[in-house]
Amino acid sequence: MDNDVSTPGDVEIVRQVVAGDVNAFEHLLEKYQNHVLRILKKRLPYDQIEETAQDVFIRAYQSLPTFRGESGFKQWLSTIAVRTCYDFWRKHYKSRELPVSSLTERHQAWLEGAIADQSSQSFYEKGLQKEAREILDWALNRLSAEERMVLELVYLEGYSVKEAADLLGWSIANVKVRSFRSRKKLHKLLTQAMPR
Amino acid sequence: MNPPKTGHEVLQAILTKAYRQKENVEVGDQWQQGVMRRVRELGAIQPTPSFAEMLEQLVWRLAPVTCLLILGLTVLFAVSDFTSGYEVFQLFMNGTEELTFALFAGL
Repeated sequence: MDNDVSTPGDVEIVRQVVAGDVNAFEHLLEKYQNHVLRILKKRLPYDQIEETAQDVFIRAYQSLPTFRGESGFKQWLSTIAVRTCYDFWRKHYKSRELPVSSLTERHQAWLEGAIADQSSQSFYEKGLQKEAREILDWALNRLSAEERMVLELVYLEGYSVKEAADLLGWSIANVKVRSFRSRKKLHKLLTQAMPR
Repeated sequence: MNPPKTGHEVLQAILTKAYRQKENVEVGDQWQQGVMRRVRELGAIQPTPSFAEMLEQLVWRLAPVTCLLILGLTVLFAVSDFTSGYEVFQLFMNGTEELTFALFAGL
C-alpha cells in the first residue's frame, strides 16, 4: 500500500477548493484519475468502472473539508475508492438473483488441471487466463460483499490485515475473522465445483 | 530448491495473477468533463464549522426566542398585581417565628 504523505501541492489545492475555488479540483482529478481507475478495474465489472469512478471523485470532493493531510491525499482517496467499491457490491448483492448454475465442464476441467499442476507458471503459460478470471468471478459472486472485499484485499492483492482494516474502516479483528472465513469459503466453493 | 506447492497454493497463485491482470481502463476527456460538471453543479463546499462556530450559530439562533421570552415576562410582571405578593413576603420576613409557632400550635 502506498504510504505517501501529502505533497505540498495537494494540500494547497485542497485548501483552494475548500476556500471556494471549484475549478482547482480539476488538478486533483487529472493527477489521480488513473490511480482510482487502477483500484476500480480489479474490483468492478468493466461497464461500471466509469460511473463508479465519477462517484469516487464526487464523494472525495464533498469530503474535502474532512481531509487533514496526515496520511496523504492519495491514501485518503484510495480509502474512498475502496469503500465506494464496497458500497457498489452491497447495493448490487441486494438486488441480484444468484444463478443456481454450477461451473461449465470446461471450467471444471480447468480447475482440475490447475490443482493437479505443480507449477502455476507452466499452467498460466498455456493461455488459460480467461478461464481463471471467469472462475474467480463465479466464486466471488457467491460470497457476501464483506467477504468479497476482504478476500480481494488480503488474499488476492496481498494487503496486510491492518492495511485492509484501514482501507475499509473496520477493526483488525473483524478483518482477520472475515479473511479466514472468506478464504475457507472460496476453497470450499472451488473444491465442490470440481468433478467427482 | 523450493518445496513443491500444494494444489490450492498453485490455484491461489493462478487466481491472483488473473485478478491482477485485468485490462487497463482508460477514460476520455468527456469523462473528466462530466465529473467537473457534476462538481460545479454541487457548487462551492461548505466547510465543516468548528465547535465554537457551531455554538455561536446556536446562540444567534436562540436569540430571538430569548428576546421574546424576556419581553413576554416583562409584560406579565407589568400587568400582574405585586401588592399581595409583597405582603406575603413581608409577613415571612418580619414574623417568621410567630408564624411558625402559630402554625405549630394550630392557631
